[in-house]
Amino acid sequence: MKTMIANVVFISTLLFLQGCAGPKPVAPWERGYLADPAMQWQRSAREAKFAGHVYTSKEASSGGSGAAGGGCGCN
Amino acid sequence: MRLPVFCFASLLYLLHPAGALADGNITVAPGFRLPAIANADGTIELDSYLGKVTYLDFWASWCGPCRLSLPALDALYEELRSEGLEVVAVSVDVVDEDSLDFLKRYSVSYPVAIDTTGDIARSYSVGGMPSGYLIDRTGVIRAVHVGFKRGDEEKLRLEIMELLEE
Amino acid sequence: MSDRAKTGIDSPLVRSISATLSALPAYQSTLADAPPAYTEVGIRHSYYTEDSLDASDVIFGSRSRYDIDVTQLWIEAPVGGSWSIALDVQNDAMSGASPWFVGVGLDGEPGVVMSGASIKDNRVEVGVTTRYFWADGNAGLAISHSEEDDYRALSFAFDASWNSSDNARTWTASASRSNDTVTPVKERIPVFIDEESLHTESLYFGVSQILSRTQIVRIGLSYTASEGYLTDPYKFADNRPEDHDRWVLSTGYRQFFSNADGALQADYRFYSDSWGTDSHTVEVGWHQNLGRHVLAPYFRYYTQSEADFFSPIANREATYYADDYRLSSYGAITAGLRWTVQLGDWQIETQAERYQSDGDWGVFSGKAAPALVDFWRATVGLTWRFD
Repeated sequence: MKTMIANVVFISTLLFLQGCAGPKPVAPWERGYLADPAMQWQRSAREAKFAGHVYTSKEASSGGSGAAGGGCGCN
Repeated sequence: MRLPVFCFASLLYLLHPAGALADGNITVAPGFRLPAIANADGTIELDSYLGKVTYLDFWASWCGPCRLSLPALDALYEELRSEGLEVVAVSVDVVDEDSLDFLKRYSVSYPVAIDTTGDIARSYSVGGMPSGYLIDRTGVIRAVHVGFKRGDEEKLRLEIMELLEE
Repeated sequence: MSDRAKTGIDSPLVRSISATLSALPAYQSTLADAPPAYTEVGIRHSYYTEDSLDASDVIFGSRSRYDIDVTQLWIEAPVGGSWSIALDVQNDAMSGASPWFVGVGLDGEPGVVMSGASIKDNRVEVGVTTRYFWADGNAGLAISHSEEDDYRALSFAFDASWNSSDNARTWTASASRSNDTVTPVKERIPVFIDEESLHTESLYFGVSQILSRTQIVRIGLSYTASEGYLTDPYKFADNRPEDHDRWVLSTGYRQFFSNADGALQADYRFYSDSWGTDSHTVEVGWHQNLGRHVLAPYFRYYTQSEADFFSPIANREATYYADDYRLSSYGAITAGLRWTVQLGDWQIETQAERYQSDGDWGVFSGKAAPALVDFWRATVGLTWRFD
């Protein structure tokens, strides 16, 4: 039941995001703040890996990271 | 029901091209006059480069590939300057400080200007960072390079040599 | 010679998951689609130490628990214009004791009987990741192998990211598989298996979206399935199903504040598995830029519900049973601080955090397990980047 709700929430969010182009687009030259290290999804790859390892070992839950960033206009 | 229609409509808006160079056809490089922050005094004007082959490079201190592109462009500039190549860089940093700090680490010898409002970048429809525009002697944009990877400077050199012969 | 199972690094279930985790994309960042402009070499050393148990919670055995020294070494370099490669080596030096089973103490309350003290074991993990970059995305393949006295794991992970044409949206997908073998050491406490194996597969799909010049958001869903020997061989009263399915819904938000020159970081994860455990994890942090320094305090709240077959004192009449506190209902709080300083091409990092758990801090009801763990963790590291 709960996993079904999680799936529904996820798919609905994707459909909403995909149907809505989103708010006013941010131009490639306006992405300075987004490129700041403060805006990373993970503190550092190795810290995230280690912290994940500790929590997974000591708690019942696992997983939850793995998303990429929002793109930067850098190619 | 209004929401899905609204969302679909805004998707169409995104598909609509914007900016002077959106249709990809050959265009005259938009002019500009910007404050200089390195290797030049006062302001830098594109018009003063007519008659030369010019590479206009949009960069920023926060752009990762720019750590490769600036030194590569500097090498090309040193090599082909005597044959008529000009390189002009425009930083889109919002703070001069950030660009100057970056240039201390990756110094170049060509003129660098700053476009803090992003107006010039918009007039060129900059599609990614960095973006380089190869402009011929008549002021027409002949090539646009978005992004920079190791080895791109080779391809760029060939394009520049071709234009230098015109 | 080791008494496994202590940080769960030994529990087969846990290790297979951690192998999968370690294979998750190491490169993901907002600057996704070019190989790094520099080569990076780094080393981190971490010290993890669990609080000793209260005397009232221990029926027999050592009160002190687990200590682990972890060293991480890595090198990450661009290769040509479109590739990068990374080599990661991790060494865990473990020593200490952990619960063997839960019994009834003299006071009538559940208490733990601990495994012997002064156990020492060493785990080495080596991983290689290659990544290919193209104009609109990147893809990576990671292989890693982990080895210790009683556990071996080999895992593979593949991930890919695509940027939308305006680069405001990034889609990510990943798939991984881990094959593990457990051969428990028999010296200290009786174990009843020689060699068993298990495998774990995981799929992840997610998207992140730029909302404005200063805001990004992401959502992701993962499904993980393990099959095989999932019981903890070093626990006296432990018999778990041979299948374990997990779903995770994760979301994150980042906002940059230019006046403050800092960013707010918030993440939420909902977890639900086929053993009856649900959990919520909330993490909130602030990243403060201070010239060459960064100070980043963070806070984490975690709450989980008990597994269907958990009870403080295991019910060995049932088909499945476990008294492992990690399957009980409780809540936990972490408070931590990270400090980094950039000196030219070198970066120094230090981080410390405190984790405390309590049966009363959770939002789910359930029977309290004795011997929930509290720990300190501290890390120092040095990274060098060069062209």
